[in-house]
Amino acid sequence: MSVTEDEAKPIQYRKHLRWGEHDPNRRANTPLGMWAWLWQRVSALLIVVLLVLHISLPYKLAIQFLLLLTVTFHATLGLRVILLDFNLVSIRHHRTLAWALPVVGLIAIFIVWRCIY
Amino acid sequence: MSATKRNVRVFRYDPAVGGDGGFRDYTLEVENASAMTMLDVLLHIQREQDPTIAFRFACRVAMCGSCGMVINGRERLACKTNVSDLPPSEDITLRPMNHFPVIKDLVVDMDPMFNKFRETLSFFEPKEQLTEPARIAPDAPEREEIRLATDCIACGCCVSSCTMVDHHPDYAGPAALARAYALIADSRDGLFQERLAAALPSCHECRTETNCTEVCPKGISPTRAIKYIQRTALVQLEVTPKEAEVEETEAPPARWEVDRATFIRGAGVAVIGAAVAVTLGSVAAITTVGPTESAAAEEWVSVGRIADLPQGKVTTVLLNYEARSGIYSQTISKPVMISRLSDEIICYKTACPHLGCTVHFENQSDEFRCACHGGTFDRSGSVIAGPPPRALDRYRHKIEGDQLLVLI
Repeated sequence: MSVTEDEAKPIQYRKHLRWGEHDPNRRANTPLGMWAWLWQRVSALLIVVLLVLHISLPYKLAIQFLLLLTVTFHATLGLRVILLDFNLVSIRHHRTLAWALPVVGLIAIFIVWRCIY
Repeated sequence: MSATKRNVRVFRYDPAVGGDGGFRDYTLEVENASAMTMLDVLLHIQREQDPTIAFRFACRVAMCGSCGMVINGRERLACKTNVSDLPPSEDITLRPMNHFPVIKDLVVDMDPMFNKFRETLSFFEPKEQLTEPARIAPDAPEREEIRLATDCIACGCCVSSCTMVDHHPDYAGPAALARAYALIADSRDGLFQERLAAALPSCHECRTETNCTEVCPKGISPTRAIKYIQRTALVQLEVTPKEAEVEETEAPPARWEVDRATFIRGAGVAVIGAAVAVTLGSVAAITTVGPTESAAAEEWVSVGRIADLPQGKVTTVLLNYEARSGIYSQTISKPVMISRLSDEIICYKTACPHLGCTVHFENQSDEFRCACHGGTFDRSGSVIAGPPPRALDRYRHKIEGDQLLVLI
């Protein structure tokens, strides 16, 4: 495309598109790593809420369990970032890390919980 | 192979018209899905259906990096993506990349990315004047470390996939950082410290979403590159006072003009932050300075029928009642000594006024006795002997019908 000097009207660029804008198939194609990032943020907010509940209503098993669950989920996703940060696990396995760590963490927590209660 | 009809949705934006742009649908006969690339799709549409459609391409073999676009929700090269790579049930959706201003249809302005390349000093500066070209063997550890990073064709797919590019305007983005990394890891490079210092602040904007790693058509991982820069800086970045001074003098004056979006974002963060701080802070404050045990509200608790309490005796009754304090409720069991020694009913606390041991009534001696230190009280509760400083404490009581109630 060429614009001649005579053309008075300057080309008007469209503001950059943003993630998901005009993008019907984006959500289905969202990579796992991004979900890992997003879920860690969501669980962080959940921890704040559950922590307040836990402090105000101590000894409620349901809240304790949910808090433990959320903290574990959040921590394992954080572990993923640490492992990648320090190259302790090759970036090739980043997808495996994103699902395997939370799964292992949650299973461990279920076992611990069953042993206690 | 029989031809199949595929619906192709192409994002159209006309700079002469402006506006938001949107998809236009085309229908295309696909002869051989595994041999037809997205570039072929676009060329077919352009030649046979709509000559006004604009897109960029050059080499057709994934070397020039011109034809990066978002194909069915993912950044890919149009020349490298076949129709068969997409699910047959989905429409083919072609859309310009994110985070680049759209010039026309699928053509974007790549300047923002190349400006970032400049900011991170993504050019080679030899250490010393060499007459002979430096030799790095393909299997040298240094070469292994850099791996594919030198293969970058600057197509912009990673920049389009990275959501942090949009949220942090100062972020250099995955492409520029991957390039900076390849140069930082290169022992021939003469701008090691400068490059490290220029690239490092941007690395902190990476949230390890690994979108860039997922979409790179050349198999490069900018995520790994960013982590490498951070690790290297951790050990090798020299922070000298002189550099800090230079930075200070060169810093642009503070900008006070804030656009609406920035203000709203800032205000939003402030509100959420304040809400969290107030919630946690108030809980912490109440726990710290508030009374550990608030004065329990007094309530009337039924002891039972008066007829059940034998005349001329002291009966110890265990009261079970629900105590409420704020949102807690607790079942409490508390003993009360009901004296019907005279006509008057007296309800005593069982705790000795001395040190709180349990007092009981001894029928033989007709006295209340505390086992701990020998405190002795007469039948009206007055101290006869021992250390108790005062008479037995009493509860107030009242009679309702045939029931005796005690104020606990």
